[in-house]
Amino acid sequence: MAEDIVDVLIIGAGASSAAAAWSLSDTKMRILCLEQGDWMNPSDYPSNHKNWQILRNQFSQSPNSRAWETDYPINEDDSAISVANFNGVGGGTVLYSGHFPRLKPSDFRANSLDGVADDWPINYATLDPYFAQNDRNMGVSGLAGDPAIPYHEAPLPVVPIGKMGDTLGRGLNKLGWHWWPSDAAIITEDYEGREKCVNLGPCNYGCAQGAKSSVDIAYWPINQRLGIELKTRCRVREITVDENDMATGAIYFDEDGVEHHQRAEVVIMACNGIGTPRLLLNSTSARFPDGLANRSGLVGKNLMFHPWGFVQGHFDEPLDSHLGPMGTCMLSQEFYETDPARDFVRGYSLQFTRGSAMIDTAVNGTFSGNIPWGAGHHAAFEKYMGRGVNVNICCEDLPEECNTVTLDPELVDSNGIPAPKINYRLSENSKRMMDHAVGKATEVLQAAGAFQIDPGGHAAGTGWHHMGTARMGKDPETSVVNEWGRSHDVKNLFIIDGSIFVTSGAVNPTTTIQALALYIADSMKKNLANLFD
Amino acid sequence: MADLITSDQLLTKPQRRTLYAVLEIIIPADEARGMPSARDTDVMAYVAEFAEQRVDAIRAELDSLNEESLKETNAAFADLSIADQQALTEKLKAAQRYFLVSTVLQTLNCYYQHDTVLTALGMKPGAPFPEGNEVPHGDLSLLDPVRARGKIYRE
Repeated sequence: MAEDIVDVLIIGAGASSAAAAWSLSDTKMRILCLEQGDWMNPSDYPSNHKNWQILRNQFSQSPNSRAWETDYPINEDDSAISVANFNGVGGGTVLYSGHFPRLKPSDFRANSLDGVADDWPINYATLDPYFAQNDRNMGVSGLAGDPAIPYHEAPLPVVPIGKMGDTLGRGLNKLGWHWWPSDAAIITEDYEGREKCVNLGPCNYGCAQGAKSSVDIAYWPINQRLGIELKTRCRVREITVDENDMATGAIYFDEDGVEHHQRAEVVIMACNGIGTPRLLLNSTSARFPDGLANRSGLVGKNLMFHPWGFVQGHFDEPLDSHLGPMGTCMLSQEFYETDPARDFVRGYSLQFTRGSAMIDTAVNGTFSGNIPWGAGHHAAFEKYMGRGVNVNICCEDLPEECNTVTLDPELVDSNGIPAPKINYRLSENSKRMMDHAVGKATEVLQAAGAFQIDPGGHAAGTGWHHMGTARMGKDPETSVVNEWGRSHDVKNLFIIDGSIFVTSGAVNPTTTIQALALYIADSMKKNLANLFD
Repeated sequence: MADLITSDQLLTKPQRRTLYAVLEIIIPADEARGMPSARDTDVMAYVAEFAEQRVDAIRAELDSLNEESLKETNAAFADLSIADQQALTEKLKAAQRYFLVSTVLQTLNCYYQHDTVLTALGMKPGAPFPEGNEVPHGDLSLLDPVRARGKIYRE
């Protein structure tokens, strides 16, 4: 029997994988994607059920808390930020909010502009057409004309900002600060066979309506019709290589724990900023004793999250702030770009998200003392319910080699594969930036008329964004992949996820990850004749 | 029937009496607002279905509250006047950081997804899907000054 060799093997079925597979499908190559998790069933999501507020707990964003069979553990003991992810078809997009801002031109030039980190080997203009293509593929809503980003038009009308958006907008206008309704990977009109958003609310626990553009909804059904093969419950242990430093495929465990070797002509890594370095570091051989594609020694280094903080405001007037897509309302990028007058370099976004639902309002209010027991309980609950808004602070995280993903010497997943260990600290620059941002978020809420402001500050359980651990660059000494995602060391190995970010910017990274994946796939197609030269 | 708590097999009779009393202390009825008391929402049935792992903690908390009552007043908590129950719980809240924490948490969880409560609050009981919610678009003319300021990003 002839050996089963696919042309392209993609590891992981999340945001980047879905986009790249779609792009490569027109080559008619045989493409196989291996995913360690399952397909999600939208009817399982909490908002299908009366007790949705409680059922959300089953969809914890922490893999260590969720601990599904399809998750792998992560040692976070030495990390100031704990990891949030999802393992399944759709990856992190299953539980993300769909907040979809792009990196900006200055994000690709941090060194040239501000003398920190490194410039990317590509620029915003390189990715611009791929951002637009991905917006069409995903189904993205937005309002054109934001003066904080190069002009672009979303294919769908903007998500409603509601009464809370009006209140915050008036406050921001008093200060003369930038704000804009968020680009959102949420369809606001029926689109490509999907029904529009009906403001269920808890997007971060899976969208029962299918209006949130998670890639299991937006990309994979189309990819499968285009002939892409997708196998679930396949956990890859190792990428294999030959004596010529060429990847030959992957060894994986199926659902029953049986080991297989899938051969491939090209391997694409799409496991994001923790899963990808974990797998490369687990792929040791005589040719690559320190891990695959790691002759630079940079695989797993320069881990960037976004240091994240919260400031909550409470308003007198009813805002119905608990209604609407929870993570997507509006953002301010007044403090995004470097200002030499500040005591930190680079900047942050303020992302305004909806208020809490009933139980969270009652529980947080009661245990914080805002809502008493007894006769005053109902009046106090009324004072807070639907009247709270959250200002999220998303700080740019600069790359530092001391922030790492390595392999834990003892912790393993259910297949015995060494688990990742995170070593991560907040830099002084990040701490100063966070302090500044908490002050500015407080100013906004004061200007908007909040009667009470709770400046929570940095929050540890917010490691949604994983970047930098296999950075791109032209120099093999200082980067892991080249300017189109190909490993410097292994000519048929590509990386297309958040690992290849050179800097993090100060926005949710998914749209940029997907634009990069489309760009890399397009580069592969343009270079097919000499792909491995 | 006045002190009947359904699904009461989870608690002893003294625990049931203590719970019944303390639920009224945590969330009493508010007739003017049309809000029921927490004792009307069958907290233990909720716990049995959604938080059975918290039953032991709730039992221990109720026993502890009753013991404190007996120690302080020589009377079971359920036999105290409302005013004395309030005074005792306030004193214990001040002294114990985690006083009744499981009981209160599960009471709030039960109460704020109960059909009667949500209806009284003017909210739709039941699952959000498929009906969803109406959210106004908002006043996008508020963006005029933001537009007028022009480009703010660096190339």
